[in-house]
Amino acid sequence: MDRKKNIIRVEDAEYGVDSRYKSNKERESDASALLEKRLIKMGYLPKNQIIRAKLMQLKFKMDDYLKEPVYDGQNYFSKFLETYIDTIYSKRSGFAKDIDITPVRLSQVINNHREPKDEFIMKLMIHSERVYTNVCEFHKKTWFQVYFHEKICDTMSRQEEWLPKIGKHVKISESMV
Amino acid sequence: MTIVEISTGRRHTIEISSVESHEFKFLGKNRYFFDWNIEKNQEVYKLCMTESSDILGLISLERIPSEWRIHIRLLTVSTENKGNEKKYDKIAGNLIAHAAKIAVAEFGEFACVSLRPKSQIAQHYIDKYDMSVTGMTLSIEVPEILNLINYYDHG
Repeated sequence: MDRKKNIIRVEDAEYGVDSRYKSNKERESDASALLEKRLIKMGYLPKNQIIRAKLMQLKFKMDDYLKEPVYDGQNYFSKFLETYIDTIYSKRSGFAKDIDITPVRLSQVINNHREPKDEFIMKLMIHSERVYTNVCEFHKKTWFQVYFHEKICDTMSRQEEWLPKIGKHVKISESMV
Repeated sequence: MTIVEISTGRRHTIEISSVESHEFKFLGKNRYFFDWNIEKNQEVYKLCMTESSDILGLISLERIPSEWRIHIRLLTVSTENKGNEKKYDKIAGNLIAHAAKIAVAEFGEFACVSLRPKSQIAQHYIDKYDMSVTGMTLSIEVPEILNLINYYDHG
């Protein structure tokens, strides 16, 4: 009878799994043993796997950012770009060389002193498509989406600043009816 | 992300999203093993086929940032998808992969998803999801967690 019960349980291993901790003591004892084991494992984690995890994390953060409007005035494109480069390269000049731009130009884009040109984003698109091949699915249009999403959010959040001034120069002279 | 219809082998695209507060009253023991109302204040996700509102699986999570860990509190497939007679495959796997994605997005290279199933079914999770054992707890970390995400993203 017990054996039969066990067989049914294994077949239904994904139906009704209760994994909640029953007490704080249980939770704490599990947590310390698990953390200790994980820290040992992390110590042996190869560099390429760390980079892989960080790149996947970046991809998820970009995907999350694109899900809805964000009006906090932060420079997401340059922030994501900085994370991307610093994850892969020991020196940013190495990335600049790989996409055939000067380190000064790259620094200006990262520090928001200059807008990235289309060509810059296209190079970034090609670069990341190659880098992500062995990491996870990464859509080539992501960088452009992030860039324009930020532009749209920024423009919409600053309407009070630009609308009165720009609006004065807009009229509709043709009859619409 | 897809699930597989066992009888035809056909793949169906799925979506995983948060359970809305008004939906909890429909998530009873009969179809989803637990009365999910008890998880109303937790982070609970549902799995549905795209363009369908029928819930095929549920997962409840606890974020533990101090340990870079996401702990699975409750997990279930709907009753018609359990055991050997199940209609669709890969429901639980997609839900675990969803937890794994949250862990990687939050904690990067430190990401971990843990589960504390009854000992009779622990081996299933070790074999199927490449989880490792620490005492009573099963867990998955980098690099296995990245492989799990890719497997279910491409599946």
